[in-house]
Amino acid sequence: MCGADTVCRVLVLDLLDVEIRVKKADKSVRSTLGHGVTMDSTRWERIQTLFHEVADLPEPEQRALLQSSCADDHGLMADVLALLEEDARGASLLDRDLAQVAHDVLDETLPTSLPFKEFGPYRIKQALGEGGMGVVYLAERTDLGSLVAIKLLRDAWLSPARRERFASEQRTLAQLTHPSIARLYDADTLDDGTPWFVMEYVDGVPLTDYCVEHACSIEERLHLFRAVCEAVQYAHQHAVIHRDLKPSNILVKADGTIRLLDFGIAKQLESLETSTGKTDQTMTGLRLMTPAYAAPEQVRGDRVGVHTDVYSLGVILYELLAGELPFDLSKLTPGEAEAMIVGQDPEKPATVAKRITHRPGANIPSVSKAAWADLDVLCLTAMHKDTQRRYPSVEALIRDIDHYLKGEPLEARPDTFRYRLGKFVRRNSRAVSAAVVVFTIVVGLVVFFTVRLAKARNAALEEAARTQRIQKFMMNLFQGGDESVGPGDSMRVVTILDRGVQEAESLNSDPKVQAELYQTLGTIYDQLGKFDRADSLLRSAVDQRKSLFGADSTEVAESLVALGQLRSDQAQYDEAEQLIRQGLEMTKRHLPPRHPRVGRALYALGEVLVNEGKYDQGIQVLDEAVQIQSAPGGVPADLAETLTELANAQFYAGHLDVSNSLNLRVVAMDRQLYGERHPNVAEDLINLGAIQTEWGNYATTERYYRQALDIIQGFYGKDHPETASVMTLLGRSLNNQGRFNESADMLR
Amino acid sequence: MPFRNNRLPGEIESDEQGKTPEERRALDQLFSVTYEELRRLASSVKRSDPGATLSPTTMVNEAWVKLAKSPGFASTSRLHFKRIAARAMRQVLVEAARRRNAFKRGGGEGVTVIVFDESQAQTASCGQDLLALDTALEELARIQPRQAMMVESRFFGGLDITETAALLEVSEATILRDWRAAKAWLAHELRRVQ
Repeated sequence: MCGADTVCRVLVLDLLDVEIRVKKADKSVRSTLGHGVTMDSTRWERIQTLFHEVADLPEPEQRALLQSSCADDHGLMADVLALLEEDARGASLLDRDLAQVAHDVLDETLPTSLPFKEFGPYRIKQALGEGGMGVVYLAERTDLGSLVAIKLLRDAWLSPARRERFASEQRTLAQLTHPSIARLYDADTLDDGTPWFVMEYVDGVPLTDYCVEHACSIEERLHLFRAVCEAVQYAHQHAVIHRDLKPSNILVKADGTIRLLDFGIAKQLESLETSTGKTDQTMTGLRLMTPAYAAPEQVRGDRVGVHTDVYSLGVILYELLAGELPFDLSKLTPGEAEAMIVGQDPEKPATVAKRITHRPGANIPSVSKAAWADLDVLCLTAMHKDTQRRYPSVEALIRDIDHYLKGEPLEARPDTFRYRLGKFVRRNSRAVSAAVVVFTIVVGLVVFFTVRLAKARNAALEEAARTQRIQKFMMNLFQGGDESVGPGDSMRVVTILDRGVQEAESLNSDPKVQAELYQTLGTIYDQLGKFDRADSLLRSAVDQRKSLFGADSTEVAESLVALGQLRSDQAQYDEAEQLIRQGLEMTKRHLPPRHPRVGRALYALGEVLVNEGKYDQGIQVLDEAVQIQSAPGGVPADLAETLTELANAQFYAGHLDVSNSLNLRVVAMDRQLYGERHPNVAEDLINLGAIQTEWGNYATTERYYRQALDIIQGFYGKDHPETASVMTLLGRSLNNQGRFNESADMLR
Repeated sequence: MPFRNNRLPGEIESDEQGKTPEERRALDQLFSVTYEELRRLASSVKRSDPGATLSPTTMVNEAWVKLAKSPGFASTSRLHFKRIAARAMRQVLVEAARRRNAFKRGGGEGVTVIVFDESQAQTASCGQDLLALDTALEELARIQPRQAMMVESRFFGGLDITETAALLEVSEATILRDWRAAKAWLAHELRRVQ
């Protein structure tokens, strides 16, 4: 624990030294032991020695032994006898349970009395209950006769931290005005410094109790729950995270409306975003939430956010649906409870509900099996342990509740991400690598905006909102149902992209992000051969960036280059070359000559030239790009791409040796960049094989092709067109070697 | 921050001089957490299931879990933290008892007392006992500091024999002997004050 024990010592003593100096009753107490003699350590030692000598002897022997030992010191003997008497009795405060002592001293029962002069115009009627910090009283406003709730910080003297937290709750409530959130009316401080505030009095029943008492149907439960979500979403919009959502903080009134209470440990998103790490840690370190509804990141003391409330809402929904909490923490130690919250997956609510229905007095409404499947997904997505896989916002949760209530498919799917990605990789064509590109780019965007916007003044909130929007964008991109399209097509990249475009279009309020996404998506459409869509997106990106950054800017240059690459793919080489050259010049005007963007523009130009058949010019431009990209600070993936293009150009120009050595360099790079078994590596091996074929080394070709086949087959599966095309190549090389039978097998 | 620098009358005060803000914050947090743990401890008594009663050991462990990562305690060992927490438990309880005691004796100037439930107005004399114990422990600390620290750690902090022995760097047998003698002496003191 403590590397140098001495250091620890110093600290401990130091802290102990901060003795609490309470104003004590000036009453000096003198021990009665010591009968006339001042008690000091020597005498105390003597008393103890005798005490231990005789303590376990029968009483007559005790006396005899003491009489001989104490001789004439009657005081000493009396002292030891007094100790023996107490020892035998064993009924002092020290024999009591500290819990009992705490109970008595801290008035655990509701305070029976209140020291005060007055609470302004309010007259206290009765105590209502108490939370971690304060006591709540029912009071009447004397002039109006209306009922209110007064919350008072108990034991305010204890520490500034408590008073600050109480004040913070008050400030939070003051800024929230929503029909489903108990309102703050008034606040003041008693003469002794005890702060109090006046809130709307809510005469209601905790959410879960209400549902049981009224035997609510699933729909009714969901409508109530949705109202809770709306209140929480409202708080989030005002940058307040509740952090302690639980049924006892959600009351349902007789008229069926709900009220959200107790923002006692709520957190301002703003301060969460801008505060220094230290303060943040302190706050999470206090960890005052109720464990049963606490999110794993709360339990771990990690950063909390809107996702934390989403989790707690998920647990509440679970309880409403299943009739039980997801985890029974009642008999666990805090450590075990933490481990369970962090590490154990809850049972599906449907399973629990089914089991409970058979119990007497159970009150779980019945729904169809299919409905249960959706409810399970809804609930378990809300309380997913991984914040990334949870609903990204309460709004998203509300959307899925609405989908359920309207009988529409949910946006969430069982354990969406892994499942989908896995299924995707297994079943899909070359689209895979493009999707990986999409994913990488989108993640990159999130990071980019987070970093860039964090620097802006007052941008913390904007950042949170923006990051959230991009995250939402990602989520919507990668999940959401078009199962109807058929399993094989369900994750086609184009489908993902189409959804992405819709999402991007809805980002009107954020033109920078929108332009960024148009650019990205347009590029991907281009790579997928969907030129029409790519065209409109990339032209939108150019236009939007022109108005955002000016016609002559690096951003516009980037879009021009992308548009040029599209034209090249469309075989409109003149326009392509013109656009890319324009972009290249613009980039050079604004950025240093060896900037990665200059390299990228050169690469694009080289590619067009090669496509046009201008191999020598292409080689020259690509060489220039390689020089820039191999300098320190260059992007290795960019370099690998340029080298591949250069190797191709050299191959077409007939420089097989150069092409071969370039391809060898590329395959080594790709292996390092993407791993041994990546389709890029397979592509390089095929290029190497092609050169060997030109040289007539069919056996070497075969070896390359077999390696490529192994990778491709492992990646796409046996029956995939991509696999088939490599088999065709291999078959041809066998054919060249005269191994016709094997070749026929391969080509069949 | 309306209360930050505004001390309440009789507030638990730390020695402001020579303390870094971080240390002050650490103590402030410790008292906050200790208080809330003690409330939990107290409320566990109310439940009908006797097995549900929490122990001070659990409370101090909880406080450790809550505070161990905070900057003020990052370099404190778990054992020494328990020692400090035991001290804090004692101080919070004693101060609470003192305030409630003062209040029952007639309150401060001009304080009105509203009693909702007469039957509950009489609470056990536990608070008195606690104040007496606090005074007696101070006396013991004068004569034999090790024993006072032992009582504090065991009774308020729930440290077990092994931990207490490790903390005070004596054998477990010594702790057992000391505990028995000190307990008898303190019991005698408490009886005398009553």
